[in-house]
Amino acid sequence: MKKAVLTCFLVLVLALGGVAFGQQVQIPREEALYVAGFQWGPPTTDNPFTGSPMTFVSNPRQHIWIYEPLFTYDGLLTGDFVPILGESFQWRDDLTLEVKLNPNAYFHDGEKVTADDVVYSYKLGQKYPIGYSSVWDWLEDVYKEDDQTVIFKMKADNPNKLMVEDGLGAAYIIPEHIWAKVEEDAGNDITEIRKFDNKDPIGSGPYRVYYESPETIILERVDDYWGVVLYDGELPRPKYVVHPIFKSNDEGNLAFENGEVDLSQQFMPRIWECWENKGLPIGTWYKEIPYHVPATMPSLWFNVNKPPLDNPELRRAIAYCIDYAKISELAMSNYSPKVEASLIVPYGAQAKYFNKELVKQEGWEYNPEKAVEILEGELGAKKGSDGIYVLPDGTRLGPFKAECPYGWTDWNAALEIVAQSAKAIGIDIETSFPDAPVAYDNRETGNFDMTMWTPSEPSPAQPWLNFQIVLHSKGVPEYGKIAYRNFGRYKNERADELIDLIPTVTDEAELKKLYDELDSIYRKDVPVIPLMYRPWVFYEYNETYWKGFPNDDNPYAPGMPGVGAGIKILWHIEPAK
Amino acid sequence: MRKFTRYILQKFSWYLLAFFLALFLNFLLPRLVPGDPISVLVSQMMSGAVTSEAQERVYQSFIQEFGLDKPFFVQFFTYVGNVFKGNLGTSFSLYPLSVNKIMADALPWTLFLQFPAIIVGWIVGNLLGAFAAYRKGNFDRILFPVALFINSVPYYCLAIILLYIFGVYLRWFPIGGGYSRTLLPSWSWPFIVDVLHHYFLPFISIVLVTIGGQAIGMREMAIYELNTDYVTYCKMLGMGDRKIQSYVFRNAMLPQITGLAISLGTMVGGSLITEIVFGYPGIGSTLFNGIRRLDYPLIQGSTLIIALTVLAANFIIDMVYGLVDPRIKAAQVEGS
Repeated sequence: MKKAVLTCFLVLVLALGGVAFGQQVQIPREEALYVAGFQWGPPTTDNPFTGSPMTFVSNPRQHIWIYEPLFTYDGLLTGDFVPILGESFQWRDDLTLEVKLNPNAYFHDGEKVTADDVVYSYKLGQKYPIGYSSVWDWLEDVYKEDDQTVIFKMKADNPNKLMVEDGLGAAYIIPEHIWAKVEEDAGNDITEIRKFDNKDPIGSGPYRVYYESPETIILERVDDYWGVVLYDGELPRPKYVVHPIFKSNDEGNLAFENGEVDLSQQFMPRIWECWENKGLPIGTWYKEIPYHVPATMPSLWFNVNKPPLDNPELRRAIAYCIDYAKISELAMSNYSPKVEASLIVPYGAQAKYFNKELVKQEGWEYNPEKAVEILEGELGAKKGSDGIYVLPDGTRLGPFKAECPYGWTDWNAALEIVAQSAKAIGIDIETSFPDAPVAYDNRETGNFDMTMWTPSEPSPAQPWLNFQIVLHSKGVPEYGKIAYRNFGRYKNERADELIDLIPTVTDEAELKKLYDELDSIYRKDVPVIPLMYRPWVFYEYNETYWKGFPNDDNPYAPGMPGVGAGIKILWHIEPAK
Repeated sequence: MRKFTRYILQKFSWYLLAFFLALFLNFLLPRLVPGDPISVLVSQMMSGAVTSEAQERVYQSFIQEFGLDKPFFVQFFTYVGNVFKGNLGTSFSLYPLSVNKIMADALPWTLFLQFPAIIVGWIVGNLLGAFAAYRKGNFDRILFPVALFINSVPYYCLAIILLYIFGVYLRWFPIGGGYSRTLLPSWSWPFIVDVLHHYFLPFISIVLVTIGGQAIGMREMAIYELNTDYVTYCKMLGMGDRKIQSYVFRNAMLPQITGLAISLGTMVGGSLITEIVFGYPGIGSTLFNGIRRLDYPLIQGSTLIIALTVLAANFIIDMVYGLVDPRIKAAQVEGS
């Protein structure tokens, strides 16, 4: 009996003790910035060289909270590089890029960020297959000239200034004094290095990992952050950054509406209702259509060698029949402005190469009559008894399969509209939404009629990069093997020539001419059709706890939720209460 | 006793065979699904501007790491060898987490959900069933069809209905997860309350189904027992109702206890879909995510654990039966 009483007592003490302890763990709401939409599964590791690490160490182009790159590229607002660990860069000659480092930088453990760390970080990509290894396709060497200067030397036989500049923002600078030992312990084997869990990563950024679980990630401000010199001696305002890992978009959006999340990167349909009908202190970049800054273009890719889709006129007819406005309205909640017939996104830094007249002259837009005209006129197709056109050689136009991964709801909706639009004029397109591993495999091996994919992201190498990914045929493997670009295996010698030429050209007028020619080739052959414009990241803020977020009226930073050049936001917001 | 040892050995070898068969199917079936799990992993790792050549090298490094370049049977025997070493491999979709760790994180949630739900459903169901058998009349007339209805609705449909009414429409309960993302796990009251808040719907959906099944079974058994000779004899002896009821209850319980043992034994794989419907962490959700991403090691690990628990539960029940029921033992030994 005594024993039982004692046990009960102990349990009670433990429970109460636990309760008291637990309450200390909760962090003060007014000191924390809650963000959402970057991480969807449990954080598996803090090692940046794995496939799916904790999001805040996952992508040097976006997440510069813990580790920092040399520069970050602002492709939305200014088209400039924002210096971080790097102070400036310039081309000494056609093959030599000189990068000056910020002499003030040091890691969380107090060690200085040196030219050696920069060289070490880039050379990791040469030594092992990792996220930024591709920069070595153009680089011959990276070496230290003095403590503040690193030289990037390009290969004489394959120079590409665009991609090397792009590479300046593509790698985290990691401390050699830590990683050299990790490498050694792993026997210089990348599969072993990837297994290193990198708990409490030592970077040089303004935050460090405070807490991590399958449900939440919390970062804590580094109070002796070296980078205060970049911001008039000031620290970022939020002491904590909290990322709750929601199970679904709906759960996250609800939390955002309730003010439990301050800054969100989730797709949130009909965002204007938040301020127009519900009166919530919520905002995005623009107060009206398209609300977000367009940056990428999810597109419909054709298998250009598979009859009858190998006929560019048929592809053009499809381009004319698609109801783009409906896609924007139903799939993208009106966040996509009118889609242009061009591989150049007419927004942000690359807009200067967009040739309005040419697009108008050679391009397409939603016009089903014109599509029918092409089918009946140029292709000589006749409608069969089932309402689907048949070519003179007896080929029925369909069923074609248009594919993308299951669960990508906006893409799924877009393809449904493509299928409806095509059926309406007499081309039989069916949608197919397998799980991601199947859709990826089909796309990469060329096992598709039509597939959906985004060519690429904002980068200093745009719009060259979009052309390279869509049109360039050199080095693209045959059907059945895995290709990571030009999935439809398009081939055009003049296009290849132009794509090889552009990175060596610096004269702006000349560049414009070359891009015009490339874009015209693209419009003639229609290997892909842009279906919508999408922001690079969604940007939504709720000013219940923090105010002073940038928007079109107050554009002090690009509309990116604390990522990339948008990290500046953390220095400008202040508590709302 | 020697005969019984033989019975055990016989049973055991059958279960061992079933285990190896399960091991083989666990390995084979995920690989029959078309698709390339590694390409998704690679494309997550590379972002922005990348060349094919670099991606190809990353791809190959993963193929080698997971041994996917080796012949099918070599892969299989490596897998079996690792299983016996207690190593379930590295997950693709949650790379570089080990499947052991993922299972260790998921299993407690499944047990936490299933065990109390089965026990509560079983106790309440049996009491209700027995009560209905005694009381007959209106109570029985209402309880019996309701129980029959609940028991006939597939448990996941019931889960979806509950989720829609109480989660989406009335908003009384959260629509998913084990606890709110905005709270830190700790032994604090707000957190405990929050966990229970998330717990209620999945819990009650399993409890209801269990109650339905148990109440019907118990009612049938009790009615049968009430009509037996010993009850009549006891009544004629003038025994009190309570006393008779306790005898009846005890006799009617026997098959119900077997049922409980089976439910407990199969609980890990019991209501996988409940977890999926409620987005509740556990083996079911883990398996589902694994299938979506074609994560061979994770699918293998989950199905292996489910197969193991089902086999072990059945084996134990067989053993207990053999001990308790001499007819079974005798039949087995004669038959061989």
